[in-house]
Amino acid sequence: MALYIVEADCISCGDCEPVCPTNSITEGPIVFKIDKKTCTECEGDFDVPQCVKVCPIDNCILPLPA
Amino acid sequence: MNSLKLSRELALRIGLAARALPDTDARRLLNVLSTCVTEPMTDSKIAAIELDAFKNANDGEFAAVDDSVLQQALNILKNAAPEKVLPAVQAYRDGDLPGSVRIACASDDGIHVNGHFGACSWFMIYQVSSDEARLIDIRTAEIPEGLVVDDKNVFRAEQIQDCKVLYVASVGGPAAAKIVRFGIHPMKLAAIESLADVIAQLQTVIAGTPPPWLAKAMGIEAGERFRFEREASG
Repeated sequence: MALYIVEADCISCGDCEPVCPTNSITEGPIVFKIDKKTCTECEGDFDVPQCVKVCPIDNCILPLPA
Repeated sequence: MNSLKLSRELALRIGLAARALPDTDARRLLNVLSTCVTEPMTDSKIAAIELDAFKNANDGEFAAVDDSVLQQALNILKNAAPEKVLPAVQAYRDGDLPGSVRIACASDDGIHVNGHFGACSWFMIYQVSSDEARLIDIRTAEIPEGLVVDDKNVFRAEQIQDCKVLYVASVGGPAAAKIVRFGIHPMKLAAIESLADVIAQLQTVIAGTPPPWLAKAMGIEAGERFRFEREASG
């Protein structure tokens, strides 16, 4: 139960970092990354994942395959 | 210098022209002009100054300045209609520049990236690789007479849809979304920069480790991207 950022599409705009309620998003060596251990897909905090909502690129933040 | 008599209008134009030149104030420009023409300085004498003479004046004080910038300053001095001096387009065939990316720059003067996406006079189209950049096309985005266009911004984006990156001085939010739909990456510059500076910066990025989205746009294979990744993290 977590999201991940598609490295080839992320433009490192950083819009997702401040909106994450669990502070799971940090800037990695290449692009931003989501800590899968703490990402809750915003469940309990918001109806929709906030990073997906603010991300300007389509299909850049996707659910990790279970 | 003190004995110079200038008409009000000419003095104003000298001030404006100085602002068009790099690191130049009115005093410096006046100094150079006074070596070009005999006193007293008049409109007709200023109007007779040619570009070459201006460039070589005062032992070539402005020799390092771009011709198009000098011409622009001269036009202001002469109160001439702003003659749009556009750089010449260079020949390009697909495959000429391996490892290159095609970019569009919104410009109103052919010198700076100073255009608003929805209103700029030209899109300057460059093919840029790490060591070469060619101006391959200059496109206007004016809608031909008689053609009915639903959405001006979609029409403008269509004109540059072969480009991967678009540099603009400004762009609206909804327009930016439409640009992204065409697979073009819009880049809004924080300040107005010259086309040459923007291209030089991009070349530095291409020569180094391009960010993954740019590598993807340039068609660099995922395997090669992985190499970049290891270099960057390692």
